[in-house]
Amino acid sequence: MSQPAPHLHQGPTTRGIMLAAAACLAPAATWGALALGPSALRVLAVAVGASLAVELAIGLSAWRRCTLGDGSALLTGLLVGLSLPAYAPLFVPAVAAAFAVAVVKASFGGLGRNWMNPALGGRLFVTFSWPVLLAVRPRPASGWLRLPAGLADGSLLGGSGTLGLVSTLLLALGGAYLLARRIAAWEIPAAFAAAFALTVWAFGGLPAGDGLFRGDLPAALASGGFALAALFMATDPVTSPQGRAARLAFGAGCGVLSFLLRVYGLRPEAPFLAVALMNMFVPLLERLSAWRGGR
Amino acid sequence: MSQARSFPSGGVCPPERKSATASLPIRKACVPAEALLPLRQHAGQAARCLVRIGESVEEGMPIGRAAGPLSADVHASIPGVVRQLREIRLADGTASPAVLIALEGEFIRTGRARRPLDWKSLSRGELLQRVEAGGVVDLNGVPAAARLRGAGPARLLVVNGVESEPYLTGDQRLLVEKAAEVLSGAAIAAFILGAGTVQVGVEANKPEALRAAAEAAAGFGFEVIALEARYPQGEERLLVQSLAGQRVGGRLEESDFVVLDVGTLQAIHEAVTLELPQIERVVTVAGAAIRHPANLKARLGTPVSALLEECGLEDPARVIAGGPMRGFALSSLDTPLTKGMNGILALSRREILPAVRTACIGCGRCAEACPWGLRPAELYKWLEHGETAAARSRGLEACTECGCCAFVCPARIPLLQGLSAGKREGAA
Amino acid sequence: MKTADFRGVLWRDNPLLVYLVGLCPALAVSDRLVNALLLGAVMLFALLGTGIAAVGLERFAPPRLRLPLRLLLASALVTAAQRFLWAFAPTFTAPLGVYLPLLSVNCLLLGSAGAGSFSDGLLEAAGRGAAFAVGLSLLALVREGLGAGTITLFPVGSFGGVLNLRGLPPARVLAAAPGALFVLGYLSALARRRGRGRS
Repeated sequence: MSQPAPHLHQGPTTRGIMLAAAACLAPAATWGALALGPSALRVLAVAVGASLAVELAIGLSAWRRCTLGDGSALLTGLLVGLSLPAYAPLFVPAVAAAFAVAVVKASFGGLGRNWMNPALGGRLFVTFSWPVLLAVRPRPASGWLRLPAGLADGSLLGGSGTLGLVSTLLLALGGAYLLARRIAAWEIPAAFAAAFALTVWAFGGLPAGDGLFRGDLPAALASGGFALAALFMATDPVTSPQGRAARLAFGAGCGVLSFLLRVYGLRPEAPFLAVALMNMFVPLLERLSAWRGGR
Repeated sequence: MSQARSFPSGGVCPPERKSATASLPIRKACVPAEALLPLRQHAGQAARCLVRIGESVEEGMPIGRAAGPLSADVHASIPGVVRQLREIRLADGTASPAVLIALEGEFIRTGRARRPLDWKSLSRGELLQRVEAGGVVDLNGVPAAARLRGAGPARLLVVNGVESEPYLTGDQRLLVEKAAEVLSGAAIAAFILGAGTVQVGVEANKPEALRAAAEAAAGFGFEVIALEARYPQGEERLLVQSLAGQRVGGRLEESDFVVLDVGTLQAIHEAVTLELPQIERVVTVAGAAIRHPANLKARLGTPVSALLEECGLEDPARVIAGGPMRGFALSSLDTPLTKGMNGILALSRREILPAVRTACIGCGRCAEACPWGLRPAELYKWLEHGETAAARSRGLEACTECGCCAFVCPARIPLLQGLSAGKREGAA
Repeated sequence: MKTADFRGVLWRDNPLLVYLVGLCPALAVSDRLVNALLLGAVMLFALLGTGIAAVGLERFAPPRLRLPLRLLLASALVTAAQRFLWAFAPTFTAPLGVYLPLLSVNCLLLGSAGAGSFSDGLLEAAGRGAAFAVGLSLLALVREGLGAGTITLFPVGSFGGVLNLRGLPPARVLAAAPGALFVLGYLSALARRRGRGRS
């Protein structure tokens, strides 16, 4: 038969989804570059470049076709870059992006076949490979905007003060667009944020001995990793479950794990670890939303 | 009239694109110089050919006799001489024997006005016989007589006035212009079935059709119900669910409900009261590549190319027989008009929005769109690996091939094609 | 056993890389090349011994005693090797820890059935042992080189034993357990790929 029915389509294509997500990251990325200067720009450029290059190389040599057109490599590169601090030496984003594309995605069969978010896999590989280079450290006043010095976070946009706050707002804006256009499922960031906020507020003060309901919520929410993970990484359709119940459970699990890893584990990249861990449970969670069909 | 009802979940809202033809009255298409009549315009076996090459046929004369339970008679749509008997490929790609008639002679059936017979004087058996003799077949390819014979006394007859696919306006115009005939056909059908209630379903966003239906229905004592304009509202089981408010367990044929569309009901009316067999049908010719879209009443067997030429064809990207959601892309424009072809669409690239196919990204849109709550992408993957049994245990049989899943798929995976192939394989 | 079979067992039928036998000691001691070489050598020795013995057992021992006797023999050989190493090279034996005695179990798995002649048995055992050792050493080479930035060998004369590699800072995750699984996965793919081309 020639072209199959249906002959009309509605909604975004795969490329449309990937590019929309990348576009929604652009405001936050621009802000990061302006606030942190050329080092941030370099990290982003290297991450994106490495991601595209590795995907092209693997695509041509293994599958004899160029898969850059679906936009997923670009998105992965951007996410990797935004999840790394600006002071990371340049081989770190390169290795992270290469690992993300080659090991986490391509080795399992390419787009749609991976079980862990590729950007997360890359970020975590470099986290455990070069922990000293990526550790939290004081941030000097830098960048074209001359922001005052503060404490840098594990991610490009994270940190105390204006930087973290504005970054979170810009990421939230971009995320809101994705949710409005139904490109990202709202259940995941909603459950993630709710669970995270609740646990941090209720139990966040316990390690410091402050008692219940004394957690430092604003600081936790404004750290750069949380917004990025909740709105852009946990919502990756390939590695998140389908179905309302499963998505809510997934988001909640991410939130609780983020809380535990940040408050008790003292890891700045807690949200990334949390989502990567929850990615493992997606097939199990999908059983919560069993198909209800049948005559 | 009650408020707009609908089925509980799933379905999609494609762009209507009916403005070009919704207010155009049905007009007769030019009679073709040659009519190519397939002997299989129904779900069952091809009709047995009754004519030979060189034989003269009159308009409305039977040229094929029903052969089997889901088969129906085929009648000559134009008077003339049988020039060829050959195998052709239908729009859906299957083969069928066909009779080619060259136009010659007088139009003795459609040209003259006839007095309609009062059908109430006939018995149930006689009525059924007339329906059968008319070769009336519904949009699903099931002969109307087979539907009316049914499994048992039906409680409710549903008049399917819903036309939820984009571009198509034939049924809508039929209701506006000939509601009385349609509902007369419904009365006949209800009598044959012994149905106590008749409900007419029309979408809420077609006020003219709703009004016309309500006016005619008042005379018959039928109820007209406004339904939400959502595809696939016209799918029989979903329609029953919207109207009756309950799910139909088991097969529709074994339930209390019978669903018949307006075109079929009008054909039943004509077959019974005028003894006019099904030799014409209303077809919407539309799309951006058509210069003058129209709702044509054309003779069966007219080549699609003739109808397109009549409306002016302008560089189409794709020509489709049927609606855009389930219709068949035509590779040859010589395909003839058949009993189930309710639309001929010539679409431009901008209307189709072709895109590259990628791997499934697990977005879940297909599952959200499925009116039956299935997971089309998952079923497709099972079928791709040859696991038909696994797909069937996950609900493949419930699929009614509406195409909602493929309509929303960002990866442009041919889900409809895959699932229907899997269903055929499972049935084999 | 012909040369083709030998190459076959090195890649296509590599006990460690393709059949994933002996993963436990393999992942544990492949953090340094010297440990891997040592363990590989002990494995080879034990397999040779059990290989010869298996043929003998097949011919002379009653059927029900063959398996227990093979296990006894493998343990005895491995224990002997362990005692020898402790006596003469304690600093190198210590890192091997409990994984050295564990080898006796793997010898049982990899030991030949003893069906053929003595020379067949010997060659088979040598092939498998060498393949295991090569696989383990490759694993250790990658892990230590990329994960710790060094290559540790036996000290000879003035050479202290540790080669420091210059270049990027080492990726610590490869020196840890998860990294071992990463590297093993890709080496396994490589071995299968090479093995597919042959025979």
